[in-house]
Amino acid sequence: MVAYFRDIWHLRHFWLALVRNDLRSRYRRSLFGLGWSLLQPMAMTGVLCLVFCQMFHLSLHDYAPFLLTGLTFWGFITSVVNQGCQCFFQGEPYIRQHRAPLAIYPLRTALTAGYHFGIGVAVVVVFVWCMNGLGNLPALLSLAVVLPLLFVFGWSVAVCAGTLNVLFQDTQHLAEILLQILFYMTPIMYPPSLLSEQHLQWIVRLNPFAILLELVREPLLAGRLPAPETVVMSVAVTLLTMAVASLMLKWCERRLVFYL
Amino acid sequence: MTLIELNDVGLLFRVRRHGRISLKEYVLRGWFWPSRRPTFDVQALEHINLTVKQGERVGVIGRNGAGKSTLLKLMAGIYPPTSGVCRVTGRVSSLFDISLGFEPEANGWENIRYRSYLQGASLRSLQDKIQSIAEFSELGEFLDMPVRYYSAGMLVRLAFSVAAAIDPAILLVDEVLSAGDASFQTKARERMRALISSALAVVVVSHDLNALRQLCDRVLWLDHGRIYRDGPAEEVIAAYLQHSTGSAQQAA
Repeated sequence: MVAYFRDIWHLRHFWLALVRNDLRSRYRRSLFGLGWSLLQPMAMTGVLCLVFCQMFHLSLHDYAPFLLTGLTFWGFITSVVNQGCQCFFQGEPYIRQHRAPLAIYPLRTALTAGYHFGIGVAVVVVFVWCMNGLGNLPALLSLAVVLPLLFVFGWSVAVCAGTLNVLFQDTQHLAEILLQILFYMTPIMYPPSLLSEQHLQWIVRLNPFAILLELVREPLLAGRLPAPETVVMSVAVTLLTMAVASLMLKWCERRLVFYL
Repeated sequence: MTLIELNDVGLLFRVRRHGRISLKEYVLRGWFWPSRRPTFDVQALEHINLTVKQGERVGVIGRNGAGKSTLLKLMAGIYPPTSGVCRVTGRVSSLFDISLGFEPEANGWENIRYRSYLQGASLRSLQDKIQSIAEFSELGEFLDMPVRYYSAGMLVRLAFSVAAAIDPAILLVDEVLSAGDASFQTKARERMRALISSALAVVVVSHDLNALRQLCDRVLWLDHGRIYRDGPAEEVIAAYLQHSTGSAQQAA
């Protein structure tokens, strides 16, 4: 296990260079460059605010950062799943030439997605700071633990998505449909309190994405540390996903090349 | 000291005749009805017994599809053996499929970096080498352009220059003895010769029998995934030539 991580570390220049290339090539010929990754969630936020502020009787101050956090988080999840599905195909020429730990290909995906997510979080922090002042600093600092946890979760999801998609090519399509459904089952556009009025709390309680989203939203928006049960559930979800991902990696490390 | 040891190694590929399988097909047809896309087995390598000691330079020859590249990839650790044991002691530097693995939107310099990092270079070691790699390729200003604008020959030059800048311990070469146009080829051949002499052990696959005669002391003749003959270079190459031209004469 330690040797595996050591091998990944040895190749750090390679996958870091690939991540840099991914980020650069995405916006190589566009006007705003990396700014586009900000513009999209902000534009969505703007539009949805216009529509839903009235409907949910929320002020712009509260709803805009709420929405932006949710959308950026969902952007991270979607990237990690969709690009994760393709990560081994994308890395196929490298896999066929040099033996390297397979985990570096989903790692590349998770880092690219994480970079955009990090920018989104930074924007929300700045926005909330401008609106409401810096608030609770320790709560904000808890993000230093939460973000790496989310990153590990994203990496594990990318491993699972990538492996399944190599074995069964329609995984990506199934995943897209599932993500659409989950988007509406996660309180991104609507406040979670809306569900309790309809006795639908179980949707939030059983949805791992909702739990992880709560972990990010509490410190950012409410300025308080997330509830202990949220933390415990999030860590459990991440550990479980990590375990599944590790098993999949162990299985496919020597076998994936036969399925590519 | 034995650097590469293959003990009764076999490699079986399970190939689907018509492309990849979907989840629906796997669940429904696999379990309830016979699959519309059956697999068939390809025994790429069979009963390979081979040891390569330090200082040996081994050539591998055979018909197309005999399993030569597969054997090299197995030694490099890309394919695990499906039977038998393959033991390779030491760092492996491989030169396979050098035309693959370019990032088309990135320019020449960046691609030199990616390929070098994959080969195991570090930031510092690359700093010293990158200028000499660029000079060797003779691509000049084209290195500042995205690689997708390169011609095939330019890509090969770039790939070869990066591949040949390694510090080989165990060197595995798959038909990359030379590259590029006439003027580049002489340089490339010289560099390969230097690489081969500086490596601890070398296994070369090539169809260039003259080059193998000069570079290798031992040659393996692979046929249908098995080692047909294993002996001194001159002997095996002569036998192979006789067999190939003999069968060509028979056909004609």
